[in-house]
Amino acid sequence: MREHKLKVGVSGVRGVVGEFLTPLLAADFAQAFGAYVGRGRVVLGRDTRFTGPMIEHAVACGLLAAGCEVVRVGVQTTPTMQIYIAETGAVGGIGITASHNPAEYNALKLFNGEGLFFNHYERTELLDLFHQGEFIVATNEQMLGVVVDQVTPWKRHINRVIKHVDVERIRSRRFRVALDGVNGAGSELSVWFLKEVLGCELQAIHVDPTKAFPREAEPKPESLGELMELVRACGCDIGFGQDPDGDRLAVCDERGVMLDNDDMLALAIDAALAKGPGDVAVNLTTSSVVDDVAARHGRRVYRTAVGEANVVERMRSVKALIGGEGSSGGVIFSGTHLCRDSYTAMALLLDRMAGGTQSLSQWVGELPKYFRHSGKVQFAHGKLGGLMLGMERNHPKAQLERTDGLKLVLEDGWIHLRASNTEPLLRVAVESRSEARADQLFSESMTLLRA
Amino acid sequence: MASSLRISTVGVRGIVGPGLKAHHALEFAAAFSVLLDRADPVMIARDPRASSVMLREGIVASLLASGRDVIDLGLAPTPVLQHAIQRTNAAGGISIGASHNSAEWNALKFLGPNGTYLSSGEASELLDIYHLRKFDFKDWTQVGRLHFDDEAIELYIQELERVFDFKALEGLKIVADCSSGLSSLILKRIKERHPVNITMINAALESKNFAHTPNTNARTVGLQLAPVVQAIGADLGVLFDMDSDRIAVCCGDGVPVSEEMILPLLADYQLKLHPGRMVITNLSTTSLVDDIAARYNASVLRVPVGRQHAMDALAMYPVEKIAVAGEGTGAVMLPEFRFVYDGIASLLALASHLKRERTSLRKLLTQMPSYDMRKLEVGLDAKRIPELMTELEDRWAGAKMNTQDGLRVDIEAGWFHVRVSNTEPVVRVIAEMRQGSAEELISKLLETVRSYA
Repeated sequence: MREHKLKVGVSGVRGVVGEFLTPLLAADFAQAFGAYVGRGRVVLGRDTRFTGPMIEHAVACGLLAAGCEVVRVGVQTTPTMQIYIAETGAVGGIGITASHNPAEYNALKLFNGEGLFFNHYERTELLDLFHQGEFIVATNEQMLGVVVDQVTPWKRHINRVIKHVDVERIRSRRFRVALDGVNGAGSELSVWFLKEVLGCELQAIHVDPTKAFPREAEPKPESLGELMELVRACGCDIGFGQDPDGDRLAVCDERGVMLDNDDMLALAIDAALAKGPGDVAVNLTTSSVVDDVAARHGRRVYRTAVGEANVVERMRSVKALIGGEGSSGGVIFSGTHLCRDSYTAMALLLDRMAGGTQSLSQWVGELPKYFRHSGKVQFAHGKLGGLMLGMERNHPKAQLERTDGLKLVLEDGWIHLRASNTEPLLRVAVESRSEARADQLFSESMTLLRA
Repeated sequence: MASSLRISTVGVRGIVGPGLKAHHALEFAAAFSVLLDRADPVMIARDPRASSVMLREGIVASLLASGRDVIDLGLAPTPVLQHAIQRTNAAGGISIGASHNSAEWNALKFLGPNGTYLSSGEASELLDIYHLRKFDFKDWTQVGRLHFDDEAIELYIQELERVFDFKALEGLKIVADCSSGLSSLILKRIKERHPVNITMINAALESKNFAHTPNTNARTVGLQLAPVVQAIGADLGVLFDMDSDRIAVCCGDGVPVSEEMILPLLADYQLKLHPGRMVITNLSTTSLVDDIAARYNASVLRVPVGRQHAMDALAMYPVEKIAVAGEGTGAVMLPEFRFVYDGIASLLALASHLKRERTSLRKLLTQMPSYDMRKLEVGLDAKRIPELMTELEDRWAGAKMNTQDGLRVDIEAGWFHVRVSNTEPVVRVIAEMRQGSAEELISKLLETVRSYA
């Protein structure tokens, strides 16, 4: 199978820096982006990857050539950038981050003037313009410059976050909090936010943005051993693990046990719905625990195709209060902004904990218990339809949902199959309230799909 | 048709937008990094054009991606960049700016490890790498870092202070037209610490609306500089291009001096300091240079037109054998300044010359013989140019001929030079007569040249 060292597609440009993701490609793509969003202010920021400054210069070159004014915000988290774009009347923004991908990767995240990820149609139009290759280019007379603003983005972001929580009640609890910032874009912001703004007693590791990522960039139990250790050693109430661009969050309870990402999302939803009315939107692969939590508050859950942009689009159209994607550790709270934001997630969880006397593990313990499995199967080209039909035949009573791949909703669980956008891989997720049933559904499915 | 982009051994130059684009900056910087064999940093500087920021961003990105550290001098003239490259271990440099061109243009100049322009061989290798797109972008762990150097202008001025006696210039009234360009950054500092009387006009840096085209010729001098010189009764007026590598001047009476006169004046100054040294110039430059050289028992080496040829010639002789090198455009290189075109050094040399001779510029000029020089250009069909050259050679059979760059013919009372321009699709015809008018010679030439149009 081909290794995906460079991907130029509807989600932008992502690749291994050097031979694959070159400054030439980044500048060309940025120029197409500039031509697409038009001559106005474009916000340019990055995470802490070593290749960030290089790509940043290339992108600035392309944007200036297209006649845009470049607003350089330096190292910022993705949600900080998105909020800044929306608040400052920019025509768009580019975030240089490969998010949770390894350090050798980098990528351009593309935002429109509302500070939202480009939707499917915007991405397609941009890609056409890029391939067409002939954009309007600015003359010296039309050319604008570079302005720098590295201070106000933080403030704008955190001001929005704290509007929705009771800061005083969080501060009064002086929570002991552990943090692993992966030396990412949020490192300094997180320390300031947790310590100064929320008054926590902070035990922080990997919060030096000048250093390399100390662990796998994706925040998950396998990569957060140090965080779990820290929570136990320091007797913390909660532990937070971030990704390099500060949109995803993983959470560890006071016993040093990582929460399942779906449960973390369910808790954030629980906290948000307790504060204000609104519906919920999550992707099809997110756990049913979300439905149970929403039902407790008498709220509806909308299901969307996988992908942050899809969830955001649905949240926007149904005016949902909160949403997210279970597996990725992303909480999207519309009160802050329609983006995944680890800071809002931290604030919601701490606020809820401050409002009661339960420990985090007790609060999680109140969630209905689901058992989940996920896996991947390679399939030969042209065989996918047959596999899907086989699954349907195996579960004749299932309710079928075809928004994104195939989801078979059974009485005592569900199975979700979706093909990867980038590789000939079928992603399989199953869930059930019963452990035995989850095991059975998963092994049956994998056997059928592998045959 | 006037082209809006030119890529040649001189570098890359064009109208930003339709001609010169972002990818040129990225690709040329990547090619330049491949050309430089040492792994040391590359220095860059830019002029105040808006488009220079765009080109800078692209150049920085490509150099970093090629594993190079970059040292950015920010807004600094080419001679300062050249000085900075030489005093450090830099592997080379890129100057971003279109010196004498109007605001819509921009250009990249590539400089080798000594701060000098590339030789013809290096320049053509750079083009080959660019055309082959054989770049060498490094693995993510080897990406370079950007540094800044804000001492470069200061250290450059310290070098000027070692070469020129600023005290001796006291009392001389100078007006400088900075053309909205970078010379003001240097002149301001010189004024702060020396009792020189320099009045600056158009000293504010402009990114789009230049005070006038920064072309260093008599016409531009007449626009704003000459009236000010006259009004305040200055001894000397000097006009800089954007990156202050060349100058044009006018006398105290405000009358512009032909740009052809700068080299003879500075040759006079330099040869008096170093009699017997050689003067290097091109085949199209006035024979006044030969007269002045003869006074000091010095020889003149004439090379084809173009910076590269002067550089190649300079490389063949030891520095202490050469008095000055330059061309009829007012661009002059002094050995004390590592043979780079340096307008500030040219101004200081000229001012020192006036002080040393205790006379006015007008008087210095009237003491020189007055020759009649005529220049014309004709658009020709490229395929007929060899025929034209053959006919001219036949016509002047028996005269002293030089065919290094078109045809230069020396006749008894003068000379002429017919050559194809390096920058435009035209044939340039230059004739000079030491006695009488050049009118007859130039019309005779034109008649022949036009018959091939």
